[in-house]
Order: sequence, then C-alpha cells, then structure tokens
Amino acid sequence: MILLSRLCAAFLLALCVWSPGVARAAAPEKVLHDWYRLILELVRHTPTYSPPVASRSFAYLGVTAHEAVAGGSDDLLSLAGQLNGLTTLPERQQGAAYDEAVVLNAALTQAVEAYFGNTGPTGQRAMAAMGTRLRDRVTEGVAPDVVARSIAQGEAVAAHVLAWSADDGGAVIENMGFPQTYTPGAAPESWVPTNATVRQQQAPLLPDWGNNRTFAMPDGKTCPLPPPPAYSEDPASDFYREAMEVVEAKANLTPEHIHIARSWSDDPMLSTTPPGHWVSIARQVLERDNAPFDRQVEVHALLGVGLADSFIGCWDAKFRYDLLRPVTYIRRVIDPAWEPLLITPPFPEYPSGHSTQSGAADVILTALFGDDFAFEDNTMAPDGLAPRQFPSFHAAAEEAGISRLYGGIHFRAAIEQGLAQGRCIGAHTIALTTRR
Amino acid sequence: MRQLSPLRAAMLPAPLIAALLLAPLPAFAGDTLTIPAFADDSATSGITSRYEGDWEYMVGGGVATFDCNADGFADLLFAGGSAPATFYRNASTTGGPLAFVPQVAGLELDAVTGAYPLDIDSDGIMDLVLLRVGENVVMRGLGDCRFARANKDWGFDGGDAWSAAFAATWEGGAGWPTLAIGNYIDRQEEAFPWGSCTPNWLHRPGPTGGRFAAPLPLLPSFCALSLLFTDWNRSGTPSLRVSNDREYYKGGQEQMWRIMPGAEPQRYTAEDGWQNLRIWGMGIASYDLNADSYPEYFLTSMADNKLQTLKAPDGSAPAYADVAFPKGVTAHRPYTGGEVVPSTAWHAQFGDVNNDARADLYVVKGNVARMPDFAQRDPNNLLVQRADGTFQETGDVAGVASMLVGRGGAMADFNLDGLVDLVAVNRWEPAQIWRNVTPGAGGWVQMRLDQPGVNRDAIGGWLELRSGDAVQRREITSGGGHASGQAGWWHFGLGAATGAEARVIWPDGVADDWQPVDANAFYVLERGQPARLWQP
Repeated sequence: MILLSRLCAAFLLALCVWSPGVARAAAPEKVLHDWYRLILELVRHTPTYSPPVASRSFAYLGVTAHEAVAGGSDDLLSLAGQLNGLTTLPERQQGAAYDEAVVLNAALTQAVEAYFGNTGPTGQRAMAAMGTRLRDRVTEGVAPDVVARSIAQGEAVAAHVLAWSADDGGAVIENMGFPQTYTPGAAPESWVPTNATVRQQQAPLLPDWGNNRTFAMPDGKTCPLPPPPAYSEDPASDFYREAMEVVEAKANLTPEHIHIARSWSDDPMLSTTPPGHWVSIARQVLERDNAPFDRQVEVHALLGVGLADSFIGCWDAKFRYDLLRPVTYIRRVIDPAWEPLLITPPFPEYPSGHSTQSGAADVILTALFGDDFAFEDNTMAPDGLAPRQFPSFHAAAEEAGISRLYGGIHFRAAIEQGLAQGRCIGAHTIALTTRR
Repeated sequence: MRQLSPLRAAMLPAPLIAALLLAPLPAFAGDTLTIPAFADDSATSGITSRYEGDWEYMVGGGVATFDCNADGFADLLFAGGSAPATFYRNASTTGGPLAFVPQVAGLELDAVTGAYPLDIDSDGIMDLVLLRVGENVVMRGLGDCRFARANKDWGFDGGDAWSAAFAATWEGGAGWPTLAIGNYIDRQEEAFPWGSCTPNWLHRPGPTGGRFAAPLPLLPSFCALSLLFTDWNRSGTPSLRVSNDREYYKGGQEQMWRIMPGAEPQRYTAEDGWQNLRIWGMGIASYDLNADSYPEYFLTSMADNKLQTLKAPDGSAPAYADVAFPKGVTAHRPYTGGEVVPSTAWHAQFGDVNNDARADLYVVKGNVARMPDFAQRDPNNLLVQRADGTFQETGDVAGVASMLVGRGGAMADFNLDGLVDLVAVNRWEPAQIWRNVTPGAGGWVQMRLDQPGVNRDAIGGWLELRSGDAVQRREITSGGGHASGQAGWWHFGLGAATGAEARVIWPDGVADDWQPVDANAFYVLERGQPARLWQP
C-alpha cells in the first residue's frame, strides 16, 4: 500500500531534526499526549458533545495539529486543497527558526480553547492549567524570538482552521442538539422517542447533521446504503426475525457479551463517546510504539476526518430511513416489558452510528498501521471495565458493531450496513495524500 | 400507645403499580388549585449574605434553618463560601414582614459550603454541622444562639476535603448520632480533576459515649452532592441514599447504602434490585406523595430532574420508576421564556405552600458558572400539586421565579402565620427570602417532636396526619436538599378541614395513639404525652 510505505519512510525521517538549529525544551510528543488526554476528558465533560459533535472536533483538532506540523516539515503534506473548503494555511517565514513543540502547543492551545469554549468551569480551569503548564515547559530554554515566532505561527494555523470550520453547519449546537419541536413520522416504522422519562429527548438528536459539509468525501450522501428490511409485524418477515434476534441475544447474554456491550457503550457525557473511543485506541497504539509526532498528527488528522465524515454520512442515512429502535418494535409486537441492556440513543436506528464510524476507523487505522495489527484497548479501564485485546482493527470494528446487538439498541442490518458504509467513507479518507 | 412492627406499620393494600405511579393524592380539600403568592421581603429582611468564591465554591451554598433561642421562630445560618458564614436571628413578628438581624454566634467561619442543624448531644439545644472546603466543624449549641467548636470535645475528625453533603441518623437507638458526610472532587487536581472523587465519610459513635469514632470511608464514592438517611422500605432501619455528580465520577452511579448497626456498610447492588442511574445528582427531596407509606424521591440534576417512586408495592426491592415526566416535574428548562437551553437544579424540598393538604415542590436553580449551554437566567421552580397528583408550575405567578444563580434553599414558616415561606441562597448575589401571602390558603397545623433521652427531635421517626381516610405522612430526616438542613416545626396543610388527628411513629417503631389537633395551631408532640398546644 502506497500510504503505508510513505509512513514507513516517515518513521525514519522523524529521527531527524525538524527545524534547523533549534533545541527543544520539551518534545512535541509530550504536547500531543497531554492535550489529547485533556481533549478526551473535555469531550466527556462538555454538555454539547454528543458523538457527532465530538467527531467534528476530533477532525478539526487533528487537522490543526497536522497543519501546524506540516508547515515545517519536508515530508508531511498539507491537506489544504484536499479537504473540502480548506484553503492554503499561513506559511512560515523562509529561513527562520521555529520550535516544533512551541508551534504545536500554541496551535492546540488555541484550538482546544475554541472548540471547548462552552465547557464548564472545571474544564475551563483545566484548559488554562494545561496551557500554562505546557507553555512554560516547551518554551524553557528556547530563544525568545523563536518562541514568539513559533507561537504566532501555531496560533495562525489554529485561527485558519477555526475560520474554516465556522460555516460547516455544525458549529452551533443548541439545547445539547435536541430541537425544541419535532413531529415524528406517521408510518409504523418511523422512529419515535424511546426514553419516556426524559423530556429533553422527545426530539431526535441533531436531525440536520447529515447536511453538514464533509471533509474528505463529496457530501453526506456519498456512501449510500440499501434500505433496511421492509417493516413488517409478520413473524415470517425479515424485520420480525431481526427483532427476534435482538430479543434472543438479550435473553442469552453471556458475561463476555455484556463486557463487549459495555466496553463499546460509549454513552455521551459518561465516556469519551464512540469517536473518542477510537481516538483513545489510536493514542494507546501511538504511545505504546513511541510514534514520532509527525506520525501522530497524521494519524489524528486522518482518523478525525474519517470519523467526522462517518457521522455526517450516517446521520444523512438515519434521517432518510427514519427507522424505529428495537425497543419500540419489540415492545409493540413481541414483549411489552422488554428492556435493552444499554440505554437506547435518542435518534433513528438505521444505520448504527457506532458501526459506521468503526468501519471507517478500521479502514483508516489499518491503512496506517497495517493488517493484523494487534493491540489492547484500555479505554474503559477508568470506568472499571477490563481491557479488551484485538488481533486487528478490523476485529475491533466488528466487535464494536455487534456490541450494539448485544446492547439491544440495533438490529443486525444497521450494524452490517453501518460497517459497510463506514468502510466506504474511510476509503475517501485514506485517499488523501499526507506525505510528499 | 401501642407497638407496631415497622414493616406492619408500612403495609398498605397493594394497588397495581400503574395506579401507584399516578394515583391522585388523598386530599383534605377539594380539587380547586390555589395559586400561591409571595411577597419579596429580601430587600427589607436584613439578610445580605452572599455565597462567594470561585471554583472551589461552585457547589454548596447552603442555609441552615433552626431555632436557637427557643422563641419558636426559625433562625438562619447562611454558608458564605470564601466569605464568612453569617447567622441571622429571626426578628419577625407573627404574621408580619420577615425580619432578621445579623448576630455574632460563633459560627462565622470561612470556607463553609453548607450547614445542617442537629442536636448531636441530645441536650435540647440545637448544634450545627458545618460543611467546608477544608476541615468540617461541629458546633455545639450553648443556648441563646451561641455556639462553640466541638471537634475536639466530641472526637470529630473534620478531615480535609471539599464537603457539600450531609445526613444524620441514630443507629439502632444509639446514644450518639451517626453522621454521613459527602465529599466532592480532589480540589488539588487542577488539570485532571475528573475521576478524582474523594471518599465520603461515616462518622459513627465511638466506643465511649459522647464522642465519634474515626470516620469510616464509604467506598467507592462518586462525588456526592446530597445524602439522606431514609427508611425507604419502612424496615425500621434507614438506609443512606447518595446522589452523585456524574460530571466527575468514572464508573459511578447513584448509590444507596445499607447501614446496619454494628455492621460494615453495604451498597445496594443490581442483585438487590438497585438500578443503575447516572445523573448530575445535586439534591434529594423526599415525601410520601402517593400515600403508600413509602417516600418518593425527587433528585435534582441538570436538564431533566427525576421523581422516583418505588416499583414494588411491598417495598421488597429498591427499584424505582421515574415519574417526573407524567407528574410534570422534569423542570428541565426555564419556563419563563427567553432561553431554550436546559436548567441546572440544586436544592429541592417538598412543602405545602397553599395549605391544600398536598405537598408542593420548591426547586432552586442556577447556572454552575457561566456555562453557555445551560440557562443563564434560570428561574426557581414552585411546582404546586394538583388534585390528580400532577404538578403545575407557579414560580412566575407566585413571584418567586428568581433569575439569580441559586444553590441552597429552605421552606419554612418564618413568621409563624401558618404559611410556608421560601429562602434561596445565591452565588455572588444576596440571598432572597419570600413571605407567603397566598390568598385563600387552607388551614394548617405545625408540630414539633420531642422525646426524652437521646435523639430529642426524633430523627428517623414518622409524623402522620389523618383526616377521614386520608393520611399525610412525613419522614423526620436530617439531611438531603443541597447543603441546606432544617429543624423545627413540621408543617402540614389542612385544606378546609378544621382539624385532624396526628400521631408520631418514633424512631424505635413505637407509635403514639392518634391525637386530635385543631387547624391553624402549633403543637409540641412529646413522646407518650398529650399533644401540647404552643403559641408564639
């Protein structure tokens, strides 16, 4: 694979000094580690950060980091002109010295504060503390003129990306993404609210998200998927059979199934969200392998772009098909007292968002790291769940998909077609050129 | 007087669960809804206390309501946050405007987040527990509203934490109370405070009388913001409910602990029927709304709030249905128009503001601190219960829809006119107090409990009021709300009734006989004695 060979070469290049004549007080890898650790917490603790919103920020933050580094790299290629609407970024002064850690830290400081400007007082305090701490660390021992120039460059890149993001359709989130009014469809297969106890969730989350500007694919309709099985309450129908599969899965849950379902539950405000889960996996892999920072920003940019496009494509389909959730159908047709294992998300069922974005993550991370890349996922360890081992990103994506069946929140078609849609979307992402 | 087994006392006919959830309350009065009205006495009351401070005071902001000079009028202690706490003596006259006088009481500590009155040493003089950022302090009442620090004398280890929740009980008739204190984030964690919840503490009686043992950590702890000892299944032994802020825990949920005398606390689990609920838990209010003898619990949060009612009609499992939506108490966003973003709720308390014999719900609201995705102008709620058991918002028409950044609060009859008044503690702004002037309100009765020996105020008992087949019932608790505790008169509305019968089920399960009480009167219910009329 061309992309992979380019990346292998990048490993070697990363051993070289990036900006001539400048000694770094702190490694850019440390900057990435600390900011992404905080970003994953902020995603969990910022009220508007539902999975689509989180995916969008992961994309812009990844692109910000990538462009901040690419501007001083002989190898990394800017994504300007490749991503929809992204124009040429501010260039560095020719022959002038920059400190990569300072540039990167300045860019991420500004970007994080912008994308999480609505977080609560604790997040604000944490961002301020992180900014101060890292700034002090990365500027220590660096010539003042280099510091000033590097900060200006990082901030200019962040401002450029921020301006680009402002009109993509996803910049303003009101009422945590829930419309004030919503008229459900009248067809029997139409989605209806599933959480009867929560007033805020009587309308679906972000019904217009599928219209947002995409990053690497033309638009939200780029990767269509076939319709779900035709709605029917006939026990001989495919639809009924799919519902029965969900019922039987719940009835026959093993401890392993429950562990899988909970490990990939990724509820907003209680976890890093599904896209954050994949970013967390990427972080674990990058840090396990001590990946150089150019490699890291490349991974974050591509993964972020793919995850964000996945949610746009998935949401386009969700509101096109407007399908009811298993809990609605099963209680209506099979068992009025049925309860799923997981909390049913407040939006239409088909396709599965986690499956779509996991399919994309599979394609992107496999392209970056290779087939049969084994890893351990500790994302849910702080919440008391044991780690999970995977032989490949493909296997992890498949497990993420089937976890929604175990959890009782998706039919099989939504999972299988979601994974397929995600892989189609991911292919657009890996078609981007990130290396010269 | 006769002995009732606690469980038998709790038993009622077991109606269908659906009927239980939505059954209209027994009403002493008719179906007409009396809209409450309040006069804002804040500017003239003499109260100027503000809850001050930055990040470490984003939670807390409580007020203690209690009578410390034996005049029957409830006095107030306001937490000041980074500013000193302020005590106000109630100088109101019966039926008059609400008037308070600041007075040095020995309570002027800084870093106070909340305060709960409790007669710890059962000497008949109210003591106080001050929750703080730093060392918690127990203050011994000396009489005439003077207090002295008693940590050393009572062996109370105040620790060093960010405390904002409290509850108390007397375990198994012990001679000394058990205090539960809820602790919040590790405040030393600057960049990564999430997941840093510090242990809650159980201060049990020590081996020698009159002192506390070393605090027992209640692990795991999940950043508690409200605690309540409550006999949820009428077993005779209260359990400890803990409402936790999901913003900061990882792997956490709402909790309830089984606290058996002499035994290690045990958490209720899914095997017991306890259900996983994760909210921004900030306050607990309880009341037996559906007259099935078991308390309902209102849990404040951000966006939707919860109203939990026991699913099992026999109290066999701690599983609850959330009926906030059908009851009309989700209170999830401002009701006054303008903002369409969610609310942030803190203190909650049930009380009958229009004396129609149905408990109403007061909720204090306020943004955490300039969170743009939540209402900046977030009116307090006054949800009045209708005859069918649902609630109607009246905060705006009643004149209590404060847009200040609320935290703690209280419902109490401060001028002893039979109408329940309201207090709200505000962050960075003066506290507010509203005098209830509801026209056409029903009758009322207020009672205070007194038993000899220990636990003079009968914490853990039940107070019941009967009129015909209808029984109103209150659990006598110390705890809950948001950082705000209360002791003193227990108020009931009577509607059009000219009288009723009252009885106490004391904390040891012994029930007094029913005794007649007249409308519009105060009574002291002393154990084993006839109800004693009290006059201001």
